[in-house]
Amino acid sequence: MFRKIHSLITNLHIINKKNLKEIIIEGTLFLSAVFAMILILFIIFFLFKEGYPIFRKYGLWKFLSGNTWNPTGEPPSYGTFPLILGTLLVTLGAMIISVPLGIGTAIFISEIASPKIKTIIKSGVEILAGIPSVVYGFFGLKVLTNWLRITFDKPSGECWLAGSIILGIIVLPTIISISEDAISSVPMEYKEVSLSLGATKWQTISKVIIPSALPGITVAIILGIGRVIGETMAVMMVVGNAAIIPQPIINVFSPIRTITSTIGIEMGEVANGSTHYYALFGLALILFAIVLILNIIANVILRKLREKYIITPKKKKIKLISQKNLQKIKRYFYVILSLIIICLLILWFGIEISVLIILIILCCYVIFKKVSAKTFQRIAFGIVILSAIIVLSILGIILYHIIANGVGVLSWEFITQPPVDNGRSGGIYPAIIGTLYLVGGAILIALPIGIGAAIYLAEYTKEGLLTKIIRTGIEALNGTPSIVFGLFGFAFFVLYLNLGISLLAGQITLALMILPTIIRTTEESLKSVPQLVREASLSLGATKWQTIRKVVLPSSMSGIITGVILSIGRAAGETAPIMFTAVVFSQKFLPSSPLDPVMALPYHLFVLATNIPGAEQNAYGTALVLLILVLYLYMIALLIRSHYKKMKWW
Amino acid sequence: MNIKKGIAISMIIGIIGIIIVAALIGGWFKPTETENINIKGSTTVLPIAQEVAELYMTKNPNINILISGGGSSVGIQSVGEGIADIGMASRELKDEEKSGYPNLKPIVIAKDGIVIIIHPNNPITNLTLDQIRCIYNGTYTNWKEVGGPDKEIVVINRDSASGTREFFWKHVMHKDDFVPTALEKNSNGAVKQTVSQTPDAIGYVGLGYVDSTVKAVNIKNDGMEIEPTVENILNGKYPISRSLYMITNGEPEGIIKDFIDFVLSDEGQGIVEEEGFVPLE
Repeated sequence: MFRKIHSLITNLHIINKKNLKEIIIEGTLFLSAVFAMILILFIIFFLFKEGYPIFRKYGLWKFLSGNTWNPTGEPPSYGTFPLILGTLLVTLGAMIISVPLGIGTAIFISEIASPKIKTIIKSGVEILAGIPSVVYGFFGLKVLTNWLRITFDKPSGECWLAGSIILGIIVLPTIISISEDAISSVPMEYKEVSLSLGATKWQTISKVIIPSALPGITVAIILGIGRVIGETMAVMMVVGNAAIIPQPIINVFSPIRTITSTIGIEMGEVANGSTHYYALFGLALILFAIVLILNIIANVILRKLREKYIITPKKKKIKLISQKNLQKIKRYFYVILSLIIICLLILWFGIEISVLIILIILCCYVIFKKVSAKTFQRIAFGIVILSAIIVLSILGIILYHIIANGVGVLSWEFITQPPVDNGRSGGIYPAIIGTLYLVGGAILIALPIGIGAAIYLAEYTKEGLLTKIIRTGIEALNGTPSIVFGLFGFAFFVLYLNLGISLLAGQITLALMILPTIIRTTEESLKSVPQLVREASLSLGATKWQTIRKVVLPSSMSGIITGVILSIGRAAGETAPIMFTAVVFSQKFLPSSPLDPVMALPYHLFVLATNIPGAEQNAYGTALVLLILVLYLYMIALLIRSHYKKMKWW
Repeated sequence: MNIKKGIAISMIIGIIGIIIVAALIGGWFKPTETENINIKGSTTVLPIAQEVAELYMTKNPNINILISGGGSSVGIQSVGEGIADIGMASRELKDEEKSGYPNLKPIVIAKDGIVIIIHPNNPITNLTLDQIRCIYNGTYTNWKEVGGPDKEIVVINRDSASGTREFFWKHVMHKDDFVPTALEKNSNGAVKQTVSQTPDAIGYVGLGYVDSTVKAVNIKNDGMEIEPTVENILNGKYPISRSLYMITNGEPEGIIKDFIDFVLSDEGQGIVEEEGFVPLE
């Protein structure tokens, strides 16, 4: 970059108007990309500023390894180990549930389903993505925990398993839609070559398509883990929040507590400047560290996979060696994985049953080896179809429950009147408008910066140190839990910049939260535009910016809109980031300036569901309105997307 | 085909536009000379503030009262920082808060009893404070140890930063540690909700949250069974009761003073009673 500026200055006399425009555009895009990096440093700085005292007062090691979290005991203890373990266990469970289901459904959508079924399932998945997390939490609280308690005859249904199931469902759309994008963008020729060599459809899918799509699928899983670790409201409502280590460690019916739920439930009532307050910011720092470590691991995997499957002529030799190594690594990995599974089985069921299970699996393996490719295909397709059916039925159950209970409340008065009697009666008009304002403002702020940053990263940058730092920044931002944005928004916008509890503070906080989603999805879809197209445009004499604006951007519009859809869904349903920055529980008038506070649907639902006895009817009504609002926005986005998809020609 | 799509899209965008414009106009047409009172804090006090504010606003249509939860500490901090005009708290100011914001003035607006609740199907009707403490510190883990059925007790606790929990910990637990396996809930409503859904659960909530979905346990004290009622709290027989506060930064003035006076008036205290809390004498 500096060399570029230097050469610019020395060659100033030959810069014509056209060039100048290009440079200004590049500069602007560069700034939006750097913005993400500055932002993440800023958040870290603020968290560190507020969290540092706990490490100094209590000691880092004691803070991390202590077995007891009891900040109000005498003496208080701030051991976070059970919370860290709880977060990891809940995440693990959620991924075990969602990854197979998600990838299965993605395969079904992109390779097996007929166009009609494909559209149905895809919109189903998008609806699933649009359901706000607070609604999932509400459903979990009312239905899932009860079902678990009765079905498994446990004293309480609020446990690790409930958290993992809800989080698994929440993360499904992320995994499905991104995996599906990755699978669909595998070039048609790969498939045709494989089929023409006599491979069955399933062999083609499992040996050719999935491996080629693996980088994309890995991205899907990374994004999913980020989402799971960051989730606050839904988890808080269903995991029981006992700060203990499950006994034994695989007891999925034990109540558990995550880092986010600790921050979520305790931040509200902690005295500013107390040791407990610093401890919560310390927790946020730990959360950050976990996300960073995960990102680094995931990036290493991603690079390995890219090296393996993207064949570039220059790297051919290196690739061959790394593939050999990878094969070796893979074998070790499988051995270790199966050992872990066996250990878990023995712990769980005892030796006899485990041996039986292992024998059954071995038998299945032998049978599968023997059966013909056709039969194997049939079985595989069955499993894949089953996963799609499960996903759709989950959606059906949740929608049915909310609609059946909420539809009776809906009326013209309900959506046009302010709430009365603590929200037990009256309507939710100010909350509807407040949510529209919040989401609209957040998108307006995040979209230009996000797309600018993505264009810079995809089109202009050379992979250097600066780019690496920017990318790390964006990834860290992506994994940053929404509750941390809430803390940051409160400490910085509300208190430090003195914006107060206001619409503006909430919009900016939400915008920061959805920024990485927009950047990542936009960049992915820009990259999916073939290089050929750019070269054709450039060779016709178009400048770089003209090429991007007239050729690359229009062709990647469908991907960009997918990103925006995911962002809208997330912004409209998030409670944690606005809880301390923008919302009030009750308000008679609409906000008249950006510095007024607002009501918002998710927060209103959260308060009705957990704080106001006897407001169940209106809680269901609010949930339904929130659903309808989000789904309406989604429908618009879907229409726009299908419109652009028709314009694609490759 | 494309033209049709285009029309559809522009129609949809038009509809969104209309909604936004309508919302803006709705915002603009509100009475111009309104004054805001911003109230924030404890979820225990919130229902009182909300109901009183609704009545107050119908009497003073040019005053807009904004109420939000967040918890006692958020309320105290907000009023100290000048973000809110009135803070709500279900506990006394802590030393850090007194030294951080020396001007804060807490005003007692109501009394509240802490009620032990169990599932309606649980045959237990009364417990002594000692029994409650033993359940919450983990000495008793089965209902048969306090004369109930042979079922494991599901202990429901409040989050460790709650004002209600702090009070319970001081006055029932005598600062003993809670059993670590207790489920933690971040509001009175959530505790009630869980207890009403879980047959073997026990929890504690403010008096205002007790209704027919849960059973309130009588406290046995010196051989007497004391029912958690407004009367028993007022005459001091019920052993676990506390004060609820509204906090201002300095002496309340103008409309803020007017509002707090209204809360303390007969009408305001009537609402306190309607919401299930205990009015001041």
